[in-house]
Amino acid sequence: MANDREVLREIWDGKLPICFQLAQEEIMDIQQPDPFYVMVPRLSYFPLVIDKMKRHFLRYISQENADSEMWLDYNDQPLKWHYPIGFLYDLFCGNDPQLPWTLTVHFTKFPEDILLHCPNKDVVEAHYMSTVKEADVLKHRGQVMSTMQKKDHSQLWLGLQNDKFDQFWAINRRLMESHGDSEGFKYIPIRIYSDDGTCNQRLVSPKNNDGSRKTLQQMISELYPEKNDFNLRTHGIILPLDTPLQWLSEHMSYPDNFLHLCIY
Amino acid sequence: MSSSSSLLFSINNEGKVYALSTSGSCWREFMYLGLEFKTLSAVPHYLWAVGGDRQIYLHVHGLEIPIRVKEESYENERWLPLEGFSGRLLPTDRYHFSSQDGTIDRSIDRIRLPSMAWQWEGDWQLELTLNGQALDHDGWSYAVDFPANFCPVKQWKSCVRRRKWIRYRKFSAMNSWCAIAPLHKDPTQEPFIDISIGGNEIPYASPGTLSVWSITAHGRVMYRTGVSTTSPEGLKWINISIPPNCDIRQISVGPSGLVWALLWTGRTIVRKGITKDCPTGDGWLEVKSPTETKLSVITVGYNAVWAVSSDARVWFRKGIDGNLVGCSEIAAMGSGWLEITGNMVHISVGKNDQVFAIGESDKCIYWRSGITASELTGKRWRMVQANMQLSRTSSSASVVSSASNAKHHSLTTLSEATPELKSNINIHNSWEESHSAPIEHTLPLKPPKLKQSKGKVEDEKIDLTGKSYETTLKNPRAWSPVRSVGSVVGMEAQPDSDSSVFDVDSGMYFDEEVSQTAWGMCETTWTFVDAGACFVDNMQIPHWFTDIQNAHNYDLIAKWRIQILDSLKTCNKFHGINLSKYGIAIDEKGWTRSCEARLVNNNNTCEDSILSLYWHSLENIGTLSVFQPDGTIKFILNLGEVTSIFPCSEPGCPRLSLLVPRQHAHGIKVQFASEMEQEEWLCLLVEITSQINGLSGKPSPKSLWAVTNSGDVINWDPKAIPFNSDNKGVYSKEFQVFGKDILSGLITNLNNNFPPGSSLKISGCLGDDIERFHINLQGPEIKKQRHKIEVEVTDIALHFNVRFDEATVVCNTKTSGSWGIEERHDLLLQQGHEFSIKIVCQPLGFEICVNGKSYCFYEHRLSPESITSVLIKGSLKLYTMEYSTTSVILDPDEIVWRIMGGHLRKIECSQIGVTWGISHDHRAWVYTGGWGGGVLKAISAKDGLNPITDTQTYCVYENQRWNPLTGYTSTGLPTDRYMWSDITGKHKRTREHTKLLSRHWHWISEWMIDYNTPGGVDSEGWQYATDFPAPYHGKKLFTDCVRRRRWYRKAQIMTEGPWVRAGSTALVDISLWSNSDDTSVWAITLGGEAIYRTGVTISTPSGIHWEHINSPEPLIAISTANHIVWAVGRKGELYYREGACKDNVAGTNWKLIESPRCNNIYSHKANIGAKLVSLNRHSAWVLLSNNAIAVRTGITRDKHDGNHWKCLTESEMTFKDISSIDHEIWAVSNDGSLHRRLGITSENPTGSVWQLVHSGPIVHVSSRGSSLE
Repeated sequence: MANDREVLREIWDGKLPICFQLAQEEIMDIQQPDPFYVMVPRLSYFPLVIDKMKRHFLRYISQENADSEMWLDYNDQPLKWHYPIGFLYDLFCGNDPQLPWTLTVHFTKFPEDILLHCPNKDVVEAHYMSTVKEADVLKHRGQVMSTMQKKDHSQLWLGLQNDKFDQFWAINRRLMESHGDSEGFKYIPIRIYSDDGTCNQRLVSPKNNDGSRKTLQQMISELYPEKNDFNLRTHGIILPLDTPLQWLSEHMSYPDNFLHLCIY
Repeated sequence: MSSSSSLLFSINNEGKVYALSTSGSCWREFMYLGLEFKTLSAVPHYLWAVGGDRQIYLHVHGLEIPIRVKEESYENERWLPLEGFSGRLLPTDRYHFSSQDGTIDRSIDRIRLPSMAWQWEGDWQLELTLNGQALDHDGWSYAVDFPANFCPVKQWKSCVRRRKWIRYRKFSAMNSWCAIAPLHKDPTQEPFIDISIGGNEIPYASPGTLSVWSITAHGRVMYRTGVSTTSPEGLKWINISIPPNCDIRQISVGPSGLVWALLWTGRTIVRKGITKDCPTGDGWLEVKSPTETKLSVITVGYNAVWAVSSDARVWFRKGIDGNLVGCSEIAAMGSGWLEITGNMVHISVGKNDQVFAIGESDKCIYWRSGITASELTGKRWRMVQANMQLSRTSSSASVVSSASNAKHHSLTTLSEATPELKSNINIHNSWEESHSAPIEHTLPLKPPKLKQSKGKVEDEKIDLTGKSYETTLKNPRAWSPVRSVGSVVGMEAQPDSDSSVFDVDSGMYFDEEVSQTAWGMCETTWTFVDAGACFVDNMQIPHWFTDIQNAHNYDLIAKWRIQILDSLKTCNKFHGINLSKYGIAIDEKGWTRSCEARLVNNNNTCEDSILSLYWHSLENIGTLSVFQPDGTIKFILNLGEVTSIFPCSEPGCPRLSLLVPRQHAHGIKVQFASEMEQEEWLCLLVEITSQINGLSGKPSPKSLWAVTNSGDVINWDPKAIPFNSDNKGVYSKEFQVFGKDILSGLITNLNNNFPPGSSLKISGCLGDDIERFHINLQGPEIKKQRHKIEVEVTDIALHFNVRFDEATVVCNTKTSGSWGIEERHDLLLQQGHEFSIKIVCQPLGFEICVNGKSYCFYEHRLSPESITSVLIKGSLKLYTMEYSTTSVILDPDEIVWRIMGGHLRKIECSQIGVTWGISHDHRAWVYTGGWGGGVLKAISAKDGLNPITDTQTYCVYENQRWNPLTGYTSTGLPTDRYMWSDITGKHKRTREHTKLLSRHWHWISEWMIDYNTPGGVDSEGWQYATDFPAPYHGKKLFTDCVRRRRWYRKAQIMTEGPWVRAGSTALVDISLWSNSDDTSVWAITLGGEAIYRTGVTISTPSGIHWEHINSPEPLIAISTANHIVWAVGRKGELYYREGACKDNVAGTNWKLIESPRCNNIYSHKANIGAKLVSLNRHSAWVLLSNNAIAVRTGITRDKHDGNHWKCLTESEMTFKDISSIDHEIWAVSNDGSLHRRLGITSENPTGSVWQLVHSGPIVHVSSRGSSLE
């Protein structure tokens, strides 16, 4: 059970200072727009935090583009909105931290082949809930999500959207409980990303065959037998390799209930 | 009743007894006597064992108050013409000394101690009260003849008289081993091989019943008669015959009294027909063993029987039903064996049907996890891992030193002193009877002479035992305790080292096994385990299982975890970046929530509505809007004006009550669609209102506590509101009057009264065409029953009437509804002009200033203390109204109550913040300083929150009427009450339709007939009467036409709250009082005995232990203040504790207090008893049996019983609870509203009027911490 509140709180409070700049070619005003600075929760998603920024830049762009979908890039790499912000930062800047994180805002030339469209926040919610469900299937064969009521689901989402730790964890706690006597999840919902952005998702049990707790080290040597020297990063930190997976999953999963680790 | 901690007993391979407390995590060795134990059996507090010498030993432990038994004898005398009253009675009369009904000879010289384990407390004493009335010093009461009603006064027709002698005996062998007499003179002739105790939950049996069975080496089954919680050793062994060719090796008695016995051949037999009336049963039945195996251990639970076979397989017997074992053979025998995984060599079932076993290979103790009422076989075996206390058998030094303690001293003196009083002849006899051989082995009666000489020998022997006691103990091995029959073997437990074994109080401040040196994880192999006394709650598993508990603790200090936390913390600091220019991505904004609910009106009808809650945490504002289904607004509440939120559900109707005194006099009741929704809204509303009012965490010691009728605890912390005081003892308040309608009269409740020193300032502007206006300083509205109920103000202390039409000012007073003589003054005011009026109350009268100039002086005709409100009426506009007075002005609008969590019946707080509560099942709890729990779970941190349970009993009455054809049937007359009803008969109540209040309640029993209904019952539980409603009696008489019986069913609530158990003693009342350096806690036990708690301080609010005080009569209520103690007896009489002072808390003896006699309308009923008392430094507030309140004044340290009674007569209000401290008196009226007494001063200790502060429903209040000045 996720009962280490200190760690949970620290992760929840994790924020990133971001500097948004409007792409040069889109500026239609004579005046150069000021960059937009904002502190963004690492656990959140971009579509949830950019309303103000969008309003800030709208008046500098051509009005015909005002209704088109906005997208972001970092160093010319489009950012996928359906990943948590903190994970995107770890993926792109993990090795070479630069704060504030400077992102470019675009209103045109939507990279259809790379990004999914995100017309409104409901799409984010739908995506988020489906990821949580997937994680629950891995952890509890989906039993927890299916016993929850609609309002529990919406409380989970609203807690994340409104940055309310207690509201969110009141529900998420149930998702992080282990059931039965096994004292562990069935499988750990985990995604491991290489620095080229490719994702690896496999069935990982929280226990070794002898019943002991599986550590990160043990998992990696199972999944990547060839890797000897590596680091795993999430929430901006390098994880100690003797951390038990079960604990990691309970405490350091993103709100979508997945562990998103960057390996390099 | 389950205690907060209970004990699991076991014997290791050396024959030593160990105990493991459910609240601890270490095995502690039980007192070692130089005697190994073979087997043992336990129920809570009572442990029976077979020693290495194959004799039976009893150990009573963990009881907080001693076992005391009152012996009574009535001395009867008859008046004879010449001699007057004498002990010579008529031949047809009763014995000179008899029982109450005269049928049993009770000569006091023949009433003896049952065994050496008992000792007398004091000598025979006369009882000097009869039904609460004092008798003469010789205690006689008189009657015309036996049997008749006795009265205290001798009359001409009184032919007989009697008086009652009482003497208490106490079980002094507490916390020590007590040898039970062997079956024969030579203990080796027929030793014992097994023992079992159970029967503590025999269906319908009276509380305290126990049954003890044993097996002798000759294979005989013995039953111990007369064993109960008040007679732990019972009377004697009787032999229970067994079927031929049965050689029994083991026996087990379950809590339901069910007995299973195991033969050497591996077969099992079951005793059938065991009921409350026949605890020994009436025959044996054979149960087939599982095929191809021999059973070696059997253990009986309530709804389960478990066994282990000789090949170490574990078996569960299905189909056992503890409720029906007495009447159904199937329920006693079960229906089949079920093999359970695991290999065990021993097994034991505890309370709750929890199972413990000893593993075959490792000889460790295992607990079967996951056993619930629906899944009796559980899930898996989990090893009990607890540290061991290293053996202290070598510490003979402490054994010797304790031999000189007071208890043994008194034992020695006891055996020396008693022979004086008693004739030696009978001593032997009584021992023989109570302890020795079973009946069929009783020796033939010997001639008295022989008996007498034998008696002397016996007597000397006892004496010897007493003297040789200390010497024998030095070498316990060489001494066979059995030689001294029924004597106390061993000694008091060592309080320093044994505290956790016997101290059931190790609650909040329980130190997790401090000393590391004396404890170790040494390998122990166990041979025997008994769980009969062990209560393991599946919801709250003891800290015995290292596999879960320690894993997490270990994680907290793991290197990787610290590394992660440190990196996270560093990561969240952004060095070198100026964060001030960064905006916040997610705006704090208000949020709304809405749901459909129903508004409950006063007449219990509902209207559909939509609730919408808006909350903005930054601005700290919240509103609750109530819309009609069509979306139109019904009303909007500012949540800052809500003073109290609490559940007021009825079965099937989850409801919340909101008090908003500023807007709705009766509050608002909302019914939700589901319990979940109700709890969610309760949680939200409590959270928001607490935040608005700045309430959180532990309330201040000045808090006032109350309990609502749903058992919820609410608290008001006066610290949270500012009292407008100028520091000179003057309090003032400005009322919002601007813009109010004065034309039809504006009544302003002062929320206080108007004693000398008070003043009222009014300013405003008179209308241009005003003809008259008046200002009334008046008393409370009183309901009058005329054609309909009307409300009228009967007392107006000052009527100030300005008449422009008559160009005069009239002052007058209305007393009890009639006006007095007018005083007229010249008119100073002018129509259409601004004005100001100031009324100052002075000791002799009102000084009235108009427009800043002294205008007139009006002498008091009515006491100004009776003024509670101001009425202003006339065509004018008011600007300001300011009121100031000499004591705190408490506006109910500002008294914000917070629901604290937990489920209690009664609460008592004190001025240092120590707060105790009593739940409905009479358990005592102490406040931990936390807040929330249960349905309030999301509110705050979990600090101080513990799981708590409470039990309530639901009763329904089955009523029947007799008719000549069919006898008693459930067809009543058309005018009769419901055939299934509540106690009044007015409401229909059936067993099937009795619903629980919420999903947190669950039934813990079936519907059962109550054989303990007051008034007595027959064998089927019926009570008879001539008609409904009439006094009911247990025996059917010729004239009886109706009968009823009571069914009951118990329900339990499981919740959480900031409370922790304090002691295991069941309490009915408690009183706390503290000053700066001292706290006294007195309580009344369920048995009516007074006890006080030692060692209660701010840091240890639960104290150390109870000290016990003898009382002449069972008590029902108690109160203490300033080291004075008052108590109420069961018959309504009042006592105070003489000699109680700071240095002698216990005092010396109880003294009767003159009963409340007041000259008022209630007094025509003779002798109204008291129900409840609340004592403060100067007065005692007593709730009488007619629910009126009487006050005893003039109490001082020198005069504990005060000097005057005064009844509160100014209103016809009746009350159900009262609490007082210094000048704060709060009471709960019978309609459930909470009131505060106004106008209490040193000169007027009874105050003047009641002020309504909470419309309830409240059942209990404690103002013992609150002194508002």
